[in-house]
This record gives sequence, C-alpha cells and structure tokens, in this order.
Amino acid sequence: MELIGLLNYAVFMAIFIGIYSLLALGLNIQWGFSGLFNAGIAGFFAVGAYSSALLTAPESAVHLGGYQLPVVVGWIGAMIAAGAIAWPIGKVCLRFRSDYLAIATIGVAEIIRLVVKSEGWMTGGARGVNKIPRPFGDLSYLYSQLAYLALVFAIVLVVYWAIERQISAPWGRMMRGIRDNEDAATAMGKDIKARRLEAFIFGAAVMGLGGALFAHFNRSITPEAIDPMIATFLIWIMLILGGSGNNRGALLGVAVVWIIWSASEFVTDQLPTEYAIKAKYMRVFIIGLLLQLVLRFRPEGILPEPQGTAGSPEVKTFQKQESAAK
Amino acid sequence: MLKKIALAAGLFSATALASNAVQADVKVGLLGGISGPIAAMAPPMLDSAKLAIQQVNEQGGILGGQKLEAVVGDSACNPQNGVDSATKLVNIEQVAGLIGPHCSGSVLAVANSVTVPAGITLITPSGTSPEITGLEDKGQVFRTVPSDDFQGRSLARTLLNLGTKKVAVAYLNNDYGSGLANAFKVEFEANGGEIAGYSAHEEGKASYRSNLAELSRGGADTLVIFDYGDGTGLTILRQALENGFFTNFVGGDGMKSDAIIRELGAENLTTFIASSPVGEKSNSLELFNEAYKSVGGNPDAIFVSNSYDAAFLMALALEKAGGEAAKVSEAMAAVSNGQGEAVLPGEWKKAVELIAAGKDIDYKGASGDLNFDNAGDVPGSYGLFKVEGDAFALQQALN
Repeated sequence: MELIGLLNYAVFMAIFIGIYSLLALGLNIQWGFSGLFNAGIAGFFAVGAYSSALLTAPESAVHLGGYQLPVVVGWIGAMIAAGAIAWPIGKVCLRFRSDYLAIATIGVAEIIRLVVKSEGWMTGGARGVNKIPRPFGDLSYLYSQLAYLALVFAIVLVVYWAIERQISAPWGRMMRGIRDNEDAATAMGKDIKARRLEAFIFGAAVMGLGGALFAHFNRSITPEAIDPMIATFLIWIMLILGGSGNNRGALLGVAVVWIIWSASEFVTDQLPTEYAIKAKYMRVFIIGLLLQLVLRFRPEGILPEPQGTAGSPEVKTFQKQESAAK
Repeated sequence: MLKKIALAAGLFSATALASNAVQADVKVGLLGGISGPIAAMAPPMLDSAKLAIQQVNEQGGILGGQKLEAVVGDSACNPQNGVDSATKLVNIEQVAGLIGPHCSGSVLAVANSVTVPAGITLITPSGTSPEITGLEDKGQVFRTVPSDDFQGRSLARTLLNLGTKKVAVAYLNNDYGSGLANAFKVEFEANGGEIAGYSAHEEGKASYRSNLAELSRGGADTLVIFDYGDGTGLTILRQALENGFFTNFVGGDGMKSDAIIRELGAENLTTFIASSPVGEKSNSLELFNEAYKSVGGNPDAIFVSNSYDAAFLMALALEKAGGEAAKVSEAMAAVSNGQGEAVLPGEWKKAVELIAAGKDIDYKGASGDLNFDNAGDVPGSYGLFKVEGDAFALQQALN
C-alpha cells in the first residue's frame, strides 16, 4: 500500500462525510430541532442533485437543459428547487403527527424517484444526467479531490454556522418549544403550522445542496442513486447515533457511521474467500447492530442535545445583570 | 471518548490487516452489485470471472509466473457504494485494473470520479447504458456487453424490412427496458415507421390490462415488449393474448425465455418473435460452458459469459501491457480488435506464448467476438427467434 493511495482514500472519505453531513444537518433541522419525522431524505437529495445537474450540464438529446450555467448557480438552484418541492409537501403532510408524517414522506420520496425514472424528457430517465461539470475536475486525481474537499468543507462550515446561528436565535428556541410541548406553544400564540413548514423547507434545502454536491462529484446522476437504504436510512442512523438535536453530534455521527460503513469492508475481506460474497452483507449487519446498541444503551446519541438553558445567551445576560445588581 | 479511541484502534487494525495481504501478486478489482437490487444475478457473474482468474493461475500465472488475485468489492448497484468500493480497490488494494461494476449508474460514477482520474482501466460485463459510450474516459472504459442502442436499433430496422410499419411499445421502467425502447423508437421513427403507442410499466403488478388497452387504442396490431420473459413480460404477453389487444408480438432478448413457452404453450405463440444475441460460429461458448459447468456454475445464467470475458480480457491486457497500469487500456484495445491469432476462452498459456513472441492476438470471447470500437464498445450480433416445437429457433439475423 502506498501512502498516496491511503491519502486519496482518506480525502475521498472526507468528501463523502462532507456530503452526508449536509444531509444529516438538514435532517437535524427537521427532526432534531423541530421533531418532524422525515423519512424521505432521498427525495430531496434527488431533487437537489437533478436540479443542479440540469442547470449546469451541457445540452443532450435525452434530457432537458443545456443551460451550462456556472456551478454556483446550480447549487443555489438545487437549494431553491428542494425547498420549493418541500413547500407543497409540507403544506399537505405536516398536519400529520410523527409516525404518519414518516409514512407520508416515504411515499413522497418514492413518488419523486418514480417521476425521475419515468419523466425521461426532463431527467433522462434511467440514463440519467451526465457530463455534469465538476469544479477543479481537470486537475490530477489527488489535487482535484483535495480541491473538491476544500469546497465541500467550506460549504459545510457555512451551513453549520448558519444553522447554529438560527437555532440559538429566538426562532430555534421557539422550534424546540413547539417540538417539546405543542399545546404550550399554541397557548403562547405561536403559529405552529407555519413554523414547522419553515423548518421543513429549510432542512430540505440543505439536503438538496448535499444532493447537488454529490452529483457534481461524480459528474453524473442516475436514478440508482436515489436508494432509500443509502440516501435515507443511513442518514437517520448517522443522526441518531451522533445525537439528534446537536449539530456537532450530527457531524460526528456522519463521520463515525461512514468510516465504519466504508472501512468495515477491509475487515470482512479478511474472511476466507468462499465467504467473500456473504461477507459483504456483514457490513449491513454491523450498521444495524450498532444502531440497536446505541438505541439500547445511549438513546440520546454520542453527543446529546445540551439540556437546560444554562448556556443560552439570554440566561447568561440575565445572570450577569443579576450578579451586577447584587 | 473511549468509543472514539476504540473506533480509531479498530480502523488502524483494519487498514493494517489490509496491507498485510500478499504483496507479490497482481491484483485486479472485481466490483459487483453483491448487495442491492441485482443480488441474485451478481454471485454467478463473480464466479465466472473468478473462473477466468483460476484458469490464468492454473496455466502458469501472469507476468512471468505471478499469481493473479481478484479483490472483490461490493457496489450494491448504486453510485454511492460503487464509488466508495472502487476508491478502496484502486487506492488501498492498488489494483492494476477493475472488472465491473455491474450497474450502469455505478459504472458512470466510478469511471468519472475514480478510475479515469487514477488512470486505471475499467471493463464492465453488464453496464448497458448508451451513456457509457459518450464518457470522456481517455479510452480507459470498456465493456463486453453491447450497448442497449445496438439491439434496439437493429430490431427497429429489421421490423421495418419485414413490412411492419406501425407498432405499439411497452417497456419495463428500468435502464434495460427504457434504454432499448428509446433506441428502438428513435430508429423506427427515423426510418419511416410509426409508433402508435409508447408506455412504460412498473414491475410486479397483477394486471396490465389498462396499459394494454391504452396502447392498443393507437390502432397498431403489433406490440413490441421490452421486458423480462420470466417476470412482468410474461404477464403482459399473457394478458395481451387473452384479451386480444394485439395480434403480433415482438420481444427483446429478455423476452426470449423458456418460461414463456412453458407457461403460455407453443401453440399460442405462433405470432411471437424475439431478438436475442446469436452465438458466434466459433466454439468459444462451448469451451466456456464446459469449463463453467465443471466448477459447478450454470452457464445459462444472465451475463456470466460477459463477466468471464471481461476478466479474461483484463488478464490478457495486463499481460500485454507488462503490468503497467497506464498501458492497460491500449493493450485492452489491442488484444481484441479482430486482427491477429485467435485466442479462445481458457487458452491462457497459448496467449502468453504469443504475447511473449511479440505476435498480435485476437480474443474470441464466450459472449461474442468482442471487437472493441474506439469508444470501448462491442457490437452485438443479434438474430430474430420464433417459437418452433417447444423451443426458440433462429428465423433470421438482424442487420
């Protein structure tokens, strides 16, 4: 094994962790802070990936587009499109309580997947969208990966900062209030429907951005990528394991789960060759087992949501004022 | 914190284990959709590829007696896992070439973000998407299965030649069905035919009568079905026959299935024809069939001959390139271009001697002659089959 190979692999893992971080952060807005059980992450991932792909890809006979807009426009477009799709879905579905919302969103993701597969004039159907430009794609293998990693890292940082800011603002406290006690929040005059819709759209837009980053990294997007296992449930595992309601927990969960998911193939490869095919299923088993263990022994995740209000800025100011008064 | 340490330790030991694997061998990656939607198809395909590698090792090994080793990766038939597994194979296992992945979406993603940047040659046994032809791949992407374009187009031309000018098309909504149907439609209309109905259907429903009724409304009496004969295609054909929506039926290679004759009866299939790859006149296929049976495989399983050919071609290309990853793509194009002395499946020793003597070789694969064009594609040779007795019989070749 060469060192450069190891580096290439590490950089690749970091890029995927970055992309999945966006999906997990988006889910954290919806589930962690607002209590909305969205089991249709793959759908918003797909909307983002395809919107950005169609906006930036060169002309093709098999799908819509040929606009060849700059990649940045594609990424912003992905966020707008995913948010715009989330609006009517949220309008209809957010009136459901948690489990029903989960069922409805699974259905929505499936509808999006089938539309992508069936409406070939728009999405290229099973052929997908290809020749999507990748920023810094012309550099050599290692450098182009490093440059893309820097880009993904910067985006995750900005999104993380934006969410943290939003969550520690009054809006975030209100969302948690609605999540924990809907009746109390209603009694205080909060417009619960509208607030939930905001959180749903905000989260969906972040997921869409994750989808776009994925499509540009692979320079192609096909319906095969909208697999609920890898684009919905894996992200749930990441968030629950890391600690929902805590953005740092979400990021940690993504890193832990993806590294286990990816690197466990080396461990299972050590089994004798006659088990080589069965061994691949071990990985799926390991992830499932991990989730069971976490839910049993540490249901709040590795980094749980900070409890109480001791850390919030108002309380600190209040405490300062109090001590000053004394 | 403890957990993190334990995890890091686990990871280090994992990578350490991986690096301890035998160093002297020549490694190739064998990337297949082991888990995921094609889980039933993948194991026989991997077995047939391993057969090729076994033959190489039995007949003196590669590059002067080294052992050829296959490292199996799981693409799960989706781009996420495909790219992840390919990155590991290329960077950690340092494979000299990649056989697979099996699904078109993974092939596109893996080629774009791993193998082409890394300069590794990829050959897929079952990626049939026409998009693979147009990849900007510096000539490093090959396949041993014809693009869906070939069959769809040649079927369209042949039907027009037979005097069928107006058809309805029903296709399964996946990359196989829609790829074929799209190529068929473009070629059929370009040559003056009329598509009177064109619709996709989903897998596994109990009734397709409403789809069929709508298709027949266009007034065509011929229905073209791109589907699998042991799955949904059978249901569609049965219901179309029962309700008399159409009189003539044409199928793609997926429809040339014995299940159709068994279930519907040959006497009801007098107006049914199906296109399918025609075996070459050489005895390549028989050689492969025998060898594969002897290791306990079923040679009739789908894509196994393509998979065997992909692995054998990769070994030939590695031998010719002298093990240099950068030269493999050039060598791959050279070992199967229709010029030079013929090498049949299993004739590894002969091939090595010819290469050592500096002679050109031309691999005649189990799945066809496999002469690569500039895009790394192989042309298919197809024939139209009709039902005769209790089996399919060749009616005419497609052009």
